[in-house]
Amino acid sequence: MAMTAVARETVFALRRQIAKIEGTLPERLAAPAGAQSGARPDVDAGPGIAPELTPEIIILRRGLAVASPDAFLRTGIERLDTALSGGLPKAALSEIHGAETRDAGAVAGFALSLTSLILKQEPHLPVLWIGTSEIFREAGFPYARGLHGLFGIEPEQLLFSEAPKLVDALWIAEEAARMTALAAVILEIRGNPQRLDLTATRRLHARAQNAGRPVLLLRQAGEAEPTAAPVRLIVSAAPAASRDTIAGPLAGSIGRPAFTVSIGKSRTALPGQFTLEWNPDEHTFEERRQERATNPVAVVPASGRRTHPAPASGAVLAFPAVGSPAAGDQPSRPQRPAHISPRRAG
Amino acid sequence: MISHRDRNAQRISALDERAEALRLKRGMGIADARAMHPSIDIVEADPEADRRLLEGLADWCDRYTPLVAIDGTDGLFLDVTGCTHLFGGERAMLDEILSRFFHQGFDVRAGLAATPGAAWAAARFCGDRIVAGGEEEALLAPLPLAALRIAPEIRTSLESVGLRTAGAVMAAPRAPLARRFGASLLLRLDQALGRLDEAVSPRLPVAPLSVERHLSEPIMLTADIERLVSLLAKTLKSDLERRGEGARMLALLLFRVDGAVSRIAVGTSRPLREPVLIQKLFHERLAALEQDIDAGYGFDLVRLSVLSAATFDMQQADLAGEAEDNDADIALFADRIRARLGEAAVLRPVAVESHLPERAVATVPFSEAPQRRAPPRQRNNPPATVFPPERPIRLFRSPEPIEVPATEMPEGPPMNFRWRRALYRVARAEGPERIAPEWWRHQPGEEEAPTRDYFRIEDSDGRRYWLYRQGLYGASEVPPRWFMHGVFA
Repeated sequence: MAMTAVARETVFALRRQIAKIEGTLPERLAAPAGAQSGARPDVDAGPGIAPELTPEIIILRRGLAVASPDAFLRTGIERLDTALSGGLPKAALSEIHGAETRDAGAVAGFALSLTSLILKQEPHLPVLWIGTSEIFREAGFPYARGLHGLFGIEPEQLLFSEAPKLVDALWIAEEAARMTALAAVILEIRGNPQRLDLTATRRLHARAQNAGRPVLLLRQAGEAEPTAAPVRLIVSAAPAASRDTIAGPLAGSIGRPAFTVSIGKSRTALPGQFTLEWNPDEHTFEERRQERATNPVAVVPASGRRTHPAPASGAVLAFPAVGSPAAGDQPSRPQRPAHISPRRAG
Repeated sequence: MISHRDRNAQRISALDERAEALRLKRGMGIADARAMHPSIDIVEADPEADRRLLEGLADWCDRYTPLVAIDGTDGLFLDVTGCTHLFGGERAMLDEILSRFFHQGFDVRAGLAATPGAAWAAARFCGDRIVAGGEEEALLAPLPLAALRIAPEIRTSLESVGLRTAGAVMAAPRAPLARRFGASLLLRLDQALGRLDEAVSPRLPVAPLSVERHLSEPIMLTADIERLVSLLAKTLKSDLERRGEGARMLALLLFRVDGAVSRIAVGTSRPLREPVLIQKLFHERLAALEQDIDAGYGFDLVRLSVLSAATFDMQQADLAGEAEDNDADIALFADRIRARLGEAAVLRPVAVESHLPERAVATVPFSEAPQRRAPPRQRNNPPATVFPPERPIRLFRSPEPIEVPATEMPEGPPMNFRWRRALYRVARAEGPERIAPEWWRHQPGEEEAPTRDYFRIEDSDGRRYWLYRQGLYGASEVPPRWFMHGVFA
């Protein structure tokens, strides 16, 4: 009995070590080991896990999936969160890439959307944006008015740091990454400098882990190369939807910002491409499904009078989204105001 | 021998002992001197370098007293009131100063007296003399009129009436002297005799607090300096606590053995007194200055001064002993960045009431930014307009010119444009939003800035830009120009 207890202890210690390396909170990891029932829901939640595996093995293999839900920043898009096995890790370095410098607007916009989501939980902390002089010259300096209008970040909450050289930018980032008084640190650089290698990113990642704050590494016009960041997202701009008005979408107008996000690297290694739309009023993401945007289908409301309603024309797939956050992307249909002609029931 | 140009002639302005032995004199023409001794070595005077040297010496003399003033082109005033006991009395202090200057290679005359005028006369005409209080008259009496620090014209006219020594002037009745030679003569006389106060105005503001440490063994390593800083900061802390203040600006003075003085200043965003934090700030500053500080043979005196202080707000810690103060953390972080990378390394945007996009936000250094109200105010009131104009998230510091070949309508958005040598096809456009220049800033003489029509553009790849057309078609001969001003998310 004592032997097994010691063995268990060793296993737990090893597991804790693995969890630390993988970036999971060890306290949560230890909890389900005693009570197997506690781990059950996590097993079900984990994507694509064979149910016959015992929970312990799952914990070892998918440390992130069982970690506390606080460890992740949920984007609010179910598919993206699932593909990232729960969301973007909060206490970690995350890379956000843009293919070209001219994508800087979309990349920065996506990073700021994430920051805005973080600020929902930490409303009073400031955000530090570090950039080299080069990137601020090439891609433009962050404009506080626009940031406030779109992401609700107050100017008093913003701190900018412009470093003449990459070495200085990295030093500031390292110093900032270990501060718990910052909601998030954004480090923006251009290209693939030699200095930002595996070691440098590992230092940033380790500090972010210790402080429990996210560090977003924005790389404009950079190639994917090995770094310590657990997640790499590749962001480019997507054509915006038209503005919504009472009379339907306004033709030719430019609506909410939209991004195409693809997962370049993640622990689950599930590929995926998502078109996200940022809602500047609610400060939430909404997903836009490509097939519906390209092939709008008129949805005929089912008649309530007949016992055997006529089958709706078009795919039924489009319909279940009603009531979900994606409902905003429903193709417009002539709307009947409820108060003018109330629908008779029965 | 050093020459200078005076009234269109090269004259001797300074000369060494060997030249003096050749019976050359100050003010003699160079041509005459060369005629007498063709082999003399002449160097052009450099008043700028002399002044720098004198300032360097004044810095160095800072180790004896904080009140050091520069007197003319060749003298220093040290107000040693209350400092002499630190060096073992007046005599010992004077000897120490003289011997240190001698070892640095300077030929120095010094005098010590109760009034600046008497000390000046003692240094220049007696050499190495200490005048006790009340003995000024005895000192001055036998000295020539030049010892009174009076203008040359007054001196010559005094000499013309037969008053050749200071004693003679002192013995003469005051009223006729004042009437004939002006008030300045009597003023100088009274100042020298201590009847009137004369203030020595120090060249540097006196620090309200400073602590220093003399070292018998000079230190050279940065790590040693940092350790010493933390020791000094500990001493400083109790002084600051007694005054209820914290330091806003600190200076570290490093006195090198051979006389050079390095001055390292750091500013803080909020009053500071914690030794560890002070040491951290200097750590960054020293790291940044590592190349610039030449330790040479080492530093033998290190002084930490508080240049400006502010009231320190005490804060109650919680029971766990940890005060949750995020703002303080950020202020310290910003200070450290500033200490290493300069004042503009941490910026904070400040909204300005202006409709011009580039003026609507000013970025100011963190230390100058107004302190954040905590918590940030809630914006429950709806915006003034139903749809506030959308603003880009990134703005170019200077709008970049773009080439627009054609527009569908004269006042409309472009169909395509070329920016940074790449062609962009416009898929959709919104606008224009007309932004006129601020006429109230318009100077009468200069040309009025044209209005700008801004367009939100989405190109065929879905990227959104903010373009503007400066000026109107047909308004003048020059066609309007197009600029890229910002990028949307």
